[in-house]
Amino acid sequence: MKFNVIGYLISEGFKNVMKNKKSTFSCLGVMCATMLMFGIFFAIAQNINHIVKIVESEQGMQVFVDVNMPEEQIVQVEETLRNIQVNGTNAINKIRRVSKQEAYDTVKEQLKDHPDAMEAVEVEMFKVSFVINLTDLSYTHDVVSQAEQIDGVVKVTNSENTITTLMSLANGIKMFTLVILTVLIIVSLFIISNTIKLSVHARRKEISIMKYVGATNNFIRAPFAVEGIVIGIASGVISILIICLGYNALANKFLSSSIAQKIQTISLLSFGEMVNLIIIVYILLGVGIGIIGSAISMRKYLDV
Amino acid sequence: MIEFKNVSKTYSTGTEAVNNANFKIDKGEFVFLVGSSGSGKSTLIKLILKEEEPTKGNIIINGKDTTFLKQNRIPYLRRSMGVVFQDFRLLPDRTVYDNVAFAMYIVKATPRHIRRQVPMLLSLVGLSGKAKVYPDELSGGEQQRVALARALVNNPSMIIADEPTGNLDPDTAWEIMTLLNEINMRGTTVVVATHAKDIVDKMNKRVIEIKSGNIVRDEKGGYSSEV
Repeated sequence: MKFNVIGYLISEGFKNVMKNKKSTFSCLGVMCATMLMFGIFFAIAQNINHIVKIVESEQGMQVFVDVNMPEEQIVQVEETLRNIQVNGTNAINKIRRVSKQEAYDTVKEQLKDHPDAMEAVEVEMFKVSFVINLTDLSYTHDVVSQAEQIDGVVKVTNSENTITTLMSLANGIKMFTLVILTVLIIVSLFIISNTIKLSVHARRKEISIMKYVGATNNFIRAPFAVEGIVIGIASGVISILIICLGYNALANKFLSSSIAQKIQTISLLSFGEMVNLIIIVYILLGVGIGIIGSAISMRKYLDV
Repeated sequence: MIEFKNVSKTYSTGTEAVNNANFKIDKGEFVFLVGSSGSGKSTLIKLILKEEEPTKGNIIINGKDTTFLKQNRIPYLRRSMGVVFQDFRLLPDRTVYDNVAFAMYIVKATPRHIRRQVPMLLSLVGLSGKAKVYPDELSGGEQQRVALARALVNNPSMIIADEPTGNLDPDTAWEIMTLLNEINMRGTTVVVATHAKDIVDKMNKRVIEIKSGNIVRDEKGGYSSEV
């Protein structure tokens, strides 16, 4: 019995969607725009985070110690580095020592086309160094200044500039997305509640009859909420398709472009890695805007 | 069944529509509510349906004081009464059958119950052959019969009719009134607000007359006391 009622309410909702084709379409348009906007910025922000991580792991931070430092002191420096704290929390995730031999081998490998260049170079001429991974990229600056203070440390290299640029870019995009998204959500709420108002208006006679026969407010509301949700989910599906196709095409174009070819370390996330979150957000947006929009538009018609 | 105790209604515009109304309608009664336009008849009907709240006094329906009824209980109160209007209020995009079944959907009746009940009601109002017809293919009298079937389909204990014959020619009006009388014979309380003097005189039922908000007469007889 319950099933029959639910089926009835849902079919009424679908009928509403089909009845006001024009306003349904305008609604779909705005909701799709909202969702696409979100999708685009979400994809960009995710990729910047991804690239930040790559840059971090590829380049990391490297601390060089004095060439003539004895082994005991090197161990001491390693210990000091390992215990660097920022704001009371451990800043160092991983630390790896690069021995003189290793440094020599790396250079040799890099210069393998010019074997004569290595003739004058000896293993002992290389500095021992530590490659450091941070627990949080925002600690970079503090860790660098602390490392430079340690006795015997002669040089600290890091990709701080690249990382801060990328991070402020990511933050900027996040803020921008948030603002645009808020505006778009308000606009979609307005448009969808207007659309539903139209179908409520078209059915006001039916609603008044329903009330005289003793329909509860929720029963009257349900088909209109269904209408909102249907429009919401439909725009979600359309947006997902557009985003998926668009993203894959653009990502391929970017990866095969000459700039990306030069920076070989750069890669982009595949759409599959982001799609789950996007779908969840789209469902929340679609259902939420649908329900709230219909609730707004129904208020006036229900008090009798 | 329906009891008004010192009920007054003043609209927010200042219009005093009903002034200290006192009456009691018992189960199984047939009552005419008469009065000229603007006398407060419609307000009385609206008060019974709880479409409007009384400014003063209490309205008791089926033994329950509805004055302090919660908003979300009103639908259940309305299920105990069937309503018929002057303009029929049928849904033009649904067949006669669906118009009647609609009222049952709303109270979440089972499909089986609907399939049994709707044809029964259509035959009661004499429209068995027109189940698949749309309202605009029907005459006014037939449309009002559909509205009556819809009002009755959930077995309400009373029928409230607001000018049910206002849009009908005298012969058809009489048919509808006879039908209401038949329904009353089966035990349903019937309250009819009307202008139709001939019919009221002819039926010789209890008449409550309201004049500019005051109940001026409540007795068995004709439309007006003056001879």
